[in-house]
Amino acid sequence: MSNLTTSQTIGPFPHEAWKWAVDATASTDNATAAIRIHGVIVDGDNTPINDGWAEAWLPDSMAAESAQALPGYRRMSTDEAGSFAFTISASQIRTGKPVAYITVFARGLLKHQFTAIFLEDDPALAQSALLEQVPAARRNTLIARKQDDGSYRWDIHMQGDNETVFFDYE
Amino acid sequence: MRPSVGAVFPFNPSTSPLRGPMKFDAVEPGIYPESVYPPYKSTVKRGPLQAPIRVRDEAAVTTNVPVSPKLILPTDLDLTRQGQGEPLGEKIVVTGRLLDEDGKPIRNSLLEVWQCNSAGRYWHKKDQHDAPLDPNFPGFGKMLTDNDGRYRFVTIKPGPYPWGNHHKAWRPAHIHFSVFGSVYAQRLVTQMYFPNDPLFDYDPIFQSIPDVAARNRLISRFSMEETVDDKMLGYEFDIVLRGRNATPMGL
Repeated sequence: MSNLTTSQTIGPFPHEAWKWAVDATASTDNATAAIRIHGVIVDGDNTPINDGWAEAWLPDSMAAESAQALPGYRRMSTDEAGSFAFTISASQIRTGKPVAYITVFARGLLKHQFTAIFLEDDPALAQSALLEQVPAARRNTLIARKQDDGSYRWDIHMQGDNETVFFDYE
Repeated sequence: MRPSVGAVFPFNPSTSPLRGPMKFDAVEPGIYPESVYPPYKSTVKRGPLQAPIRVRDEAAVTTNVPVSPKLILPTDLDLTRQGQGEPLGEKIVVTGRLLDEDGKPIRNSLLEVWQCNSAGRYWHKKDQHDAPLDPNFPGFGKMLTDNDGRYRFVTIKPGPYPWGNHHKAWRPAHIHFSVFGSVYAQRLVTQMYFPNDPLFDYDPIFQSIPDVAARNRLISRFSMEETVDDKMLGYEFDIVLRGRNATPMGL
């Protein structure tokens, strides 16, 4: 019989309590040769979620960022347009692996959701051990698209035809 | 009184993040809240409709963000000492152990807590509840678990508050917990409640958990042992995260 502690929503008011980690990780945005990844979180009506949160875990950046307060980690709250953004040093990107592991939180989400981002121009995308566990028809929801300015766009759809793939790790 | 936690731990960023691998059994039905639970209105368009996909991934079950004890300030562990004076309300101490599914302590894990004040008002620009802010109680803290997996913090008992989900929608008093665990896939955000709250039966957030036992595990236990003299009452709340050691016995 399970003895697990279950999940509850983050609610609408974590901002002040969670701010320290936003501040601690914002400085990594100034990294040189940084790749910017950005997007919006939207609900089932395509309405932006303006009180959502995304945490990015970049395990391969941990060593290079050892001087940072929270190496390899980013915490972002969405703005009024539902937008979030973070950067990763280009030298820390590993082919065939997610560029970031993402955890999503929001009011109305009774359990946080795990997902991950891949870059569309990753030459080893087809050999990714994580991506190949996802049904082919839904893999596109995990792939960030390159923009004219060199940044990558990746939106999180909580519901709908393009509902983002969320994970349950084994 | 127990020693305060979060004080001194050896920290080695080159080795501390790698602790696994852990394995995560599938969670029995009814333990987690329903993704879409219509009585809680904002779940209807925000909760994913498709089941999560079970995946294996080494980094998710072996690595996590390293958190230096230097990031924890003494006032992070005592939410009653963050202003110029004493906050209003009932001072309490909350403690418990952070465990994995095998009952093993999860050491050196970051926990964040946040809550409204004794009048039911959050320190947040969007909280419009017509109850007073307390200038001496922002209502948030953070800490690391000790070698026994234990955390402990001092705070003010939060009040119930209305939240507009439906007519006479009042949340039972609760403290929000954000827990990092030892590996990334253990991340958890939850809420701790207080014993015998008359609002449990009317709260769709609490009721969204189908399994009654799982729901009741979110209710802290009054503890005379943790009660500190004539200073504050004690509450205990243990947290069990998913995951167990994946290394087979005997290897």
